[in-house]
Amino acid sequence: MSDAIMTPAAVAPSPIRTIAAKDIRDALRDRFVLIVTVFLGIAAVVALLTGAIALRNDVATYDAAKATLLALGKSAGEIKAPEFYPLRLLRGAIEQIEIIGAAISILIGYRAAASERGRQTLALMLTRPMRPWQFVAGKALAGIALLAGGLALVLGMLTAVLHLSSGVGLVPDDLLRIAIVWGVAVAYSACFFLVAFILTLHMRQISHALLAAFAVWLTLVLIAPQVGDTLDPDNQVAGGVFAQLQISKPDQTQIMKGFATFEALRNGIEEASVTKHFERFTFAVLGIKSTYTGMALWPVLVEMTSNLIWIVMTVLGLGALALALPLNPDRLAKA
Amino acid sequence: MSDPIIMTDKLTQSFDGVRAVDSLTLEIAKGEVFGFLGHNGAGKTTTVQMLTTLAKPASGTARVAGHDIRTDPLSVRRSIGYVPENVRLYDTQTATENLLFFARLSGVEAPQARVAEVLDLLDCTYLAHQRVGGFSKGMRQRVGLAQAILHRPSVLFLDEPTSGLDPMGIKMLRDLIIRLNIEFGMTIFMNTHLISEIAKTCTSIAVLSHGKLVFHDRIEAVTARYGDDAALEELYLSLTPVGRLAGAAA
Amino acid sequence: MSPRWLVARQSALFVLRERTVALLGAMFIVLVLISAWLGWSATATVDGIYQQATVFLKAAGRTVPPNPVFDMSPLFLMRNMSVYVALIGALSAIVIGNRLVCLDRKAGVLPLIGIRPLSQGDYAIGKIAALGALIAGLSIVAAVAATATFLVLPSIQLSLLQWAQLVGFMVVSAVYMAIFGLIGLATGAWSRSETVGLLLPVTAWLALTFILPQLTANLNPTAAINPISALAAPPDIGFFHWTAQILGPFSLADSFKFASARLLDYLPPDISPPSFIPPFLDLLLALVAATALAWRSLTGLAMTQGDYNV
Repeated sequence: MSDAIMTPAAVAPSPIRTIAAKDIRDALRDRFVLIVTVFLGIAAVVALLTGAIALRNDVATYDAAKATLLALGKSAGEIKAPEFYPLRLLRGAIEQIEIIGAAISILIGYRAAASERGRQTLALMLTRPMRPWQFVAGKALAGIALLAGGLALVLGMLTAVLHLSSGVGLVPDDLLRIAIVWGVAVAYSACFFLVAFILTLHMRQISHALLAAFAVWLTLVLIAPQVGDTLDPDNQVAGGVFAQLQISKPDQTQIMKGFATFEALRNGIEEASVTKHFERFTFAVLGIKSTYTGMALWPVLVEMTSNLIWIVMTVLGLGALALALPLNPDRLAKA
Repeated sequence: MSDPIIMTDKLTQSFDGVRAVDSLTLEIAKGEVFGFLGHNGAGKTTTVQMLTTLAKPASGTARVAGHDIRTDPLSVRRSIGYVPENVRLYDTQTATENLLFFARLSGVEAPQARVAEVLDLLDCTYLAHQRVGGFSKGMRQRVGLAQAILHRPSVLFLDEPTSGLDPMGIKMLRDLIIRLNIEFGMTIFMNTHLISEIAKTCTSIAVLSHGKLVFHDRIEAVTARYGDDAALEELYLSLTPVGRLAGAAA
Repeated sequence: MSPRWLVARQSALFVLRERTVALLGAMFIVLVLISAWLGWSATATVDGIYQQATVFLKAAGRTVPPNPVFDMSPLFLMRNMSVYVALIGALSAIVIGNRLVCLDRKAGVLPLIGIRPLSQGDYAIGKIAALGALIAGLSIVAAVAATATFLVLPSIQLSLLQWAQLVGFMVVSAVYMAIFGLIGLATGAWSRSETVGLLLPVTAWLALTFILPQLTANLNPTAAINPISALAAPPDIGFFHWTAQILGPFSLADSFKFASARLLDYLPPDISPPSFIPPFLDLLLALVAATALAWRSLTGLAMTQGDYNV
């Protein structure tokens, strides 16, 4: 490139990129993101391993029972073989991402915004030729990139453990499903990141913003699914009400028709939470929910489109809100 | 010297192996306005923290108002008032609410009446029902002084009381200190940087350098020997490392 | 008025004025009321399903099993309260504990308190008493809501023993919340940064609620939101026996779930807690340990400045 065409506009990196790069460098240096990622990684791997150990026990029990039956000269068909789909072992890990991952995203969002408060760095930045939204976008992108990296590490680690511990090995279709789950997990975590980021940038006191973000987390991640879960009558009797009454699946559907309003209310409460959409989408794609186990990927994706749209619309809506809200330099000057 | 109200005996404090206060032995008479001078990091604030029982000495001891700071800290606390360098109060509460809390903690009887009396004494009754969060540095300093004298202490410790105040604020504070000393007989122990204030307010001074006491005398003796403020400043600079360095360069 | 009492009163009133604490407290109380409604609604639905199933089973000529609702104790209506205490109650307690010490540190008034005639032990007792009072307040409001629910539902009659069990549950809930509140108080006093002071107990809470039950009983994290699923028996394998032995006493969320299930009459007869220490004793030991931790941190708090770095 010749000097003649090296105008400042051509070579200066965009302010968004500069701010994002600085934030990522900061985050990597203070090791906070690394520590919380390791925490999530441990939680997820523990979930996977305990599931794998329990499954191995089921297989051993089945093998022993089968051997006994064969020795007695009976058919092994009398006992049900445990089904083994390696991706289903990810259930606990996905739930950890759903709960702890969301909490960690709040912390990263809080720190991204809190790092600019109580210091005079904002004045130094906003007196450069840059628009306030670019400042916000740079910080938000850095945070989301860190989340994406952290989740890639966690899911990568899970994939490796799953591959080694299952003894079956993963096929490309499994890897594609995990990659899709990673993408959706990034979008899901970004929702919580943005909630904390927006609250911390705009609330009067940052510690209150953190608590308010946790209140949102409690409501979406735990309370809404809890209410929905409790209203599921099958969860209210140990072993399930239908199992206790010995009623088969088609008959259950018939009986539940009489409780359509109740079911609609239950579903509505669950639908209000982005967490439930994440759970439904990932459980379907990974075949954790038995209805989708062994089903081809494309039809699952088609059926789960509405859940995906919910997640994407939530993250885009929050992103737009973060960019649209005007910054208050006076407030940012105070911690 | 009349009865000493503050006596230190080889008072020592260290942080990370560095002696912040090094075997400080000092006596301050009752009724004095004592100016404690020293460069940044000389150990003045650490000394005040030990004398006010906020920090325990590493070795040595001291008596304040007749009570040992090590063995009888509660009695020391009943006898003293303290205004830190940056007075911080509960921002969301009014001046009166803050003062009532501290008055009760100090065991003041009839705290409501006493708070009103002190606010009146310091000419800040108008601040009584305002939240402290909106106060200027000067207003905050006054409420800070008010909380320190609510229980009529015999010794008042002031850590850099004029720091950050405008000239008007400095003058008002100086007048108040003199009034508290003369009218109420309070002994004042004041950490300061401002040499000009020393001559106008203090009855005796001491200079601390790197934790060691390098000078202590009554102000009359100092002014008789050195004359005006400029000479006093020269004395101070000659005793502190920065001053010695400047002298060497000249 | 003694200095301890003054510190306790001032701190408690201060914390009550904070909007975020009020928000979390209000959330807790609203959820207690919702839990009563949820319990009633879900039980009524199970009963409705049973009535429909009876018609269906009779038409098919099959025997009709007994109504599962009749097997349920009236206290079962309040089962969701155990989930809300474990989730939002514990989190609110952490926030209350943290704010109680934060208010003095952030305001920078520690030196002004430090020079008053009260010992640091008095200060610590004042703060712990304030925490106790606030948590007792939350528990009493929850107890009043639960009592009112039982009194307004005419079809439900509680025996004297069941009333005692309800009181016992409220006491256990208060103990569980106090454990987290005391940890919040301790880390708020001990940590250099305000954020770390809040995050440490939250991390401990996350680990106790969502990770340890997985290790001791192979429970998935979302089981924590369902009082029934949270009581599954662990797989009968050496690994889980070992983890239950080693981690069981630390798995306070498990202890609380089992203690609640026993008091609210929904503990299945064939399931026992993972820890070898009985749940009530485990919670009491944790309370003593948390009190010692809070005492140590508060009496060791540097009164010279005390403000946070960030």
